[in-house]
Amino acid sequence: MAEPPKLRVLMVSDFFFPNFGGVENHIYYLSQCLLKLGHKVVVMTHAYGNRSGVRYMTGGLKVYYVPWRPFVMQTTFPTVYGTLPIVRTILRREKITVVHGHQAFSTLCHEALMHARTMGYKVVFTDHSLYGFADVGSIHMNKVLQFSLADIDQAICVSHTSKENTVLRSGLSPAKVFMIPNAVDTAMFKPASVRPSTDIITIVVISRLVYRKGADLLVEVIPEVCRLYPNVRFVVGGDGPKHVRLEEMREKHSLQDRVEMLGAVPHSRVRSVLVTGHIFLNSSLTEAFCIAILEAASCGLLTVSTRVGGVPEVLPDDMVVLAEPDPDDMVRAIEKAISILPTINPEEMHNRMKKLYSWQDVAKRTEIVYDRALKCSNRSLLERLMRFLSCGAWAGKLFCMVMILDYLLWRLLQLLQPDEDIEEAPDICLCHHRGVEVSEGLRKKIK
Amino acid sequence: MVSLSVSNKRYTYIHESGSKSTREAIDIHHVIINGSSGTGYARRWGLGFFLVFLASSMYFLLGKDNPARTLSWGCLLSGFLVMLHSRKFVKKESVIILPTFGIQLETQYLSGKTVSRFIPIDKILKPVLVECVTPITCYWSLSLFLRGEEQLTLVFKELRPPLKMLVPIWKALCAAIGTDHQSETIAEEEHDVSS
Repeated sequence: MAEPPKLRVLMVSDFFFPNFGGVENHIYYLSQCLLKLGHKVVVMTHAYGNRSGVRYMTGGLKVYYVPWRPFVMQTTFPTVYGTLPIVRTILRREKITVVHGHQAFSTLCHEALMHARTMGYKVVFTDHSLYGFADVGSIHMNKVLQFSLADIDQAICVSHTSKENTVLRSGLSPAKVFMIPNAVDTAMFKPASVRPSTDIITIVVISRLVYRKGADLLVEVIPEVCRLYPNVRFVVGGDGPKHVRLEEMREKHSLQDRVEMLGAVPHSRVRSVLVTGHIFLNSSLTEAFCIAILEAASCGLLTVSTRVGGVPEVLPDDMVVLAEPDPDDMVRAIEKAISILPTINPEEMHNRMKKLYSWQDVAKRTEIVYDRALKCSNRSLLERLMRFLSCGAWAGKLFCMVMILDYLLWRLLQLLQPDEDIEEAPDICLCHHRGVEVSEGLRKKIK
Repeated sequence: MVSLSVSNKRYTYIHESGSKSTREAIDIHHVIINGSSGTGYARRWGLGFFLVFLASSMYFLLGKDNPARTLSWGCLLSGFLVMLHSRKFVKKESVIILPTFGIQLETQYLSGKTVSRFIPIDKILKPVLVECVTPITCYWSLSLFLRGEEQLTLVFKELRPPLKMLVPIWKALCAAIGTDHQSETIAEEEHDVSS
């Protein structure tokens, strides 16, 4: 059987390293696994401080840090057409076949997908979050998503709940949406060689201290649990606007000796914090997937979590205790977790996580989605405009105008700088040569 | 003696070297803007000046001014802008390698003005090929790591010749400062490129 043609994938998102989070991790690990499968992967993101230009990461992962400054919440200012020249240049330089955008919040992602479709490239979109339908922000965001996904080849969601949410928000056909969960690097999150003593039960909380992550729930849950169980202590890692409320709670209930506030915890230190505990507490009010739960379970911690979004899909029932996002119910869930704690075997839990979640599996499933995207037929401009017209009475016409202008600008760019004038970048295949990492592609070019 | 010449739509690369027998020969590398690109420049700027002229004419016409006066003002304004920008048109950039002494970077403008910069050989740590990214494009650039300077120094300040033209210059620079180009790596753009 002939080997399948190797793909050249451009990952686009405003969220990437050195910024840390679920989306950033997802892009990085997925890219690394796709590289191991023999595909070429290039990441495009905006500049982070002095980190601008082209960088190479582990395994020859090429990252374009485009010098566009972030505008709000690490996303670039929405220019609609401003990114067209650079997106076109990168697509041509790297001979890209599939453009993969990540996260609905990312303006760079939406713009890149729009330009890629205009130029006839196959596009895939991954949604990492859940959104509401009622508030003003969500209504606007959903309209943007409807525009962005109206002309997409395939979409990926990280949970079934997320898939349902995306389909409802964007009006996308469910047949085009795949569910591929996140994974965890189990090699990084191993249980402690010696399990901490159960004389004092440690409950670990690691999250951004913001409303969405349920920091207000923690303020009510922690004092009640401490009152019921004198042998329970809390370790809270993370920072955010709700940090002050937790500090006030600590002062009010005199829990300074039982509630340890660590502040912001770098990702490299997360494991060392997790292994000091027995129970991991997640109080999120909305969550599409929650990688933190996977990391905790991989470290052998029993999880207590709110029953929201895609969380119930993440872990088997014997690894997690679910509760409604209500203080009383959460206290009951913690009581239940404490009672079943003696039956938990961290090593066994870690080994199960190894089998359940692996980035290699995620990459193979994503490969199938790319394959499906490549098989989609190329639509003419008129066919594409018809799809945008169906997005709404006024919005449809506006979307059509945006796309027509994008098409005209692309044609103008082709006139000013023809495709053949854009220099193709040599492929980087990092291999050791006299102790120095050398570009195979460039070495051939030099010779 | 011209030993190598490479051309594309926009640029022509010419390599001049002394006698092959002596290693001490002066090595000259030119990157010249092609005539077609020059006319392209002229066409673009011509269009720009025409628009400026048109705008100024419209302004005076709407002001019910004398048409002759309008025309003279338009010509004067366009002429001033042509003078202002003609100094910025680059004709060619050269890299003159003086073995054991250093390298001289020269920029020749369309107006005839030439700007030179000499870099002593002992100040050059390493020549590198970097991929530069601007908000609208990406291109290859040949830069120098200089002793005591944090920023990279661009060899070609104004022009953006393609990689196939930069590689022989990079090789020549490596040979001149005594680094083995076979074991070099693509340099990541870890420093801001000094303009």
